[in-house]
Parts: sequence; structure tokens; C-alpha cells
Amino acid sequence: MADVPPDLNSNPPTPRWVKVFGIIGIVLVLLFGIIKLAGGGNHGPGRHMPSGSVPANGETLPASVTGPHIHQL
Amino acid sequence: MTMTPGLHKFALTAHITSSVGWLGAVAGFLALAIAALTSQDDELVRAAFLVMELIGWFALVPLSFASLLTGLVQSLGTKWGLVRHYWVLFKLLITVVSTIILLAYMETLSYLAGAAADTTSSTADLHGLARSPVLHSGAALLALLVATTLSVYKPKGITPYGWRKQRTS
Repeated sequence: MADVPPDLNSNPPTPRWVKVFGIIGIVLVLLFGIIKLAGGGNHGPGRHMPSGSVPANGETLPASVTGPHIHQL
Repeated sequence: MTMTPGLHKFALTAHITSSVGWLGAVAGFLALAIAALTSQDDELVRAAFLVMELIGWFALVPLSFASLLTGLVQSLGTKWGLVRHYWVLFKLLITVVSTIILLAYMETLSYLAGAAADTTSSTADLHGLARSPVLHSGAALLALLVATTLSVYKPKGITPYGWRKQRTS
């Protein structure tokens, strides 16, 4: 069977590595979305604080915790 | 728009330096985050959090912007283009997404530095906080390693836009 010449008007085939990267990217985006939904959309600093250390709602952290600290070094 | 050979070399040097520098800064950050997570030395854990914020503002953020800007110059000033080849496109996406996440994460780093500077917080609390920077910097290191690998191997693959431009030129 003779080789069929490529159609010059159509787009080139997408390489396999691009498809793999694309799938990984979609999975990561979905994973991030699920984690965000599961966490109630909260991904701020409070999310990373152990439960015993998180200030109650409406309670502000002391200035030593919330302020910039670069000057303290 | 094509650069002269001299300008091309300079732009390429700037791009490699900033990109690999960013990778190295993330590796250093990860080492500090692991030390903050595992060390039993209270002073070392607190110091690690404070230095992580410094590395964030004075190394990670500037190097991420430098990598992005020099990458844009490098792609737009050469035959590679910005969206003609898949490997360039993926590198752009990795750099843009990583930079956005880094900027958003700087708020958390300031928060962590604040917690470390607060003498009422315990070492156990700080250990709990250290999981997040380990996770984020580990993911960043992986993403930047992928970007570096793409730069070196330049896997074949032309986007539909690149295909059209190639045929019209």
C-alpha cells in the first residue's frame, strides 16, 4: 500500500508528549479545584495553621503575627 | 523581530541565569522548609521561617519575574516564537502559573514568619505549619525541573498557529 501524502491544509498531528502533558495539566487543575471546594474555598494562611492555633472568627491575630517581619531580622 | 547574535547571547545568558537561579533558590527554600518541619531546635525552626520569607521576597519573587521577562524576550526575539512550539508554550504556562502561585503564597509566608516571631507560639505549632512550605516548594521544584528539561530537550511539536506561520513564510 502506498504512503498517503500528508494533507498540507490540515494541522500537524499533536505529538504524544503534548497529549500526556495536557492530561497531567487538566488532572492537576481538577485536583486543585476539588481541594479548593473541599476546603470551602479557603486557601489562605489560616488553612495552614494547626486547628488549636487558629484564631476564632472575627478575632485578629496579634501584630507580631500579622505584620511584616523582614525588619526584625 | 530577530535579535542580533550579540544581543541574543546576552538575553540567553540572562534567561538561563534567572531560571536556574530560581530553581536553586527553590531548592534552598525547600531545605529550610524541611529543617523547619523536622528539627527539634526551637531557634532553628523559628529562624528557618523568618529566612524563608526573606528568600521569598528577595530571591524567589525577583527571579520568577526575571525568568518570565527574559523568557518572553528570548522567545519573541528568536525563531522559536511564543506560541509556535509546544515546548515553549508549556514553559510559558509553567512559569506564569508558578509565578502567580508564588505571589499568592507570599501572604502565607509572611503569616508563617509572623507566627515564628511570636514567642507565644510553640515549636509543635510551627512544625504543623511547616508542612505547607514543604509541599509548595516541592511542587515548585518539580515544575521548574520540567521547564528546565523542556528547554534542554526541546521536544518536537508545532502548534496549529506555528504550522500556519511556517507555511506562509
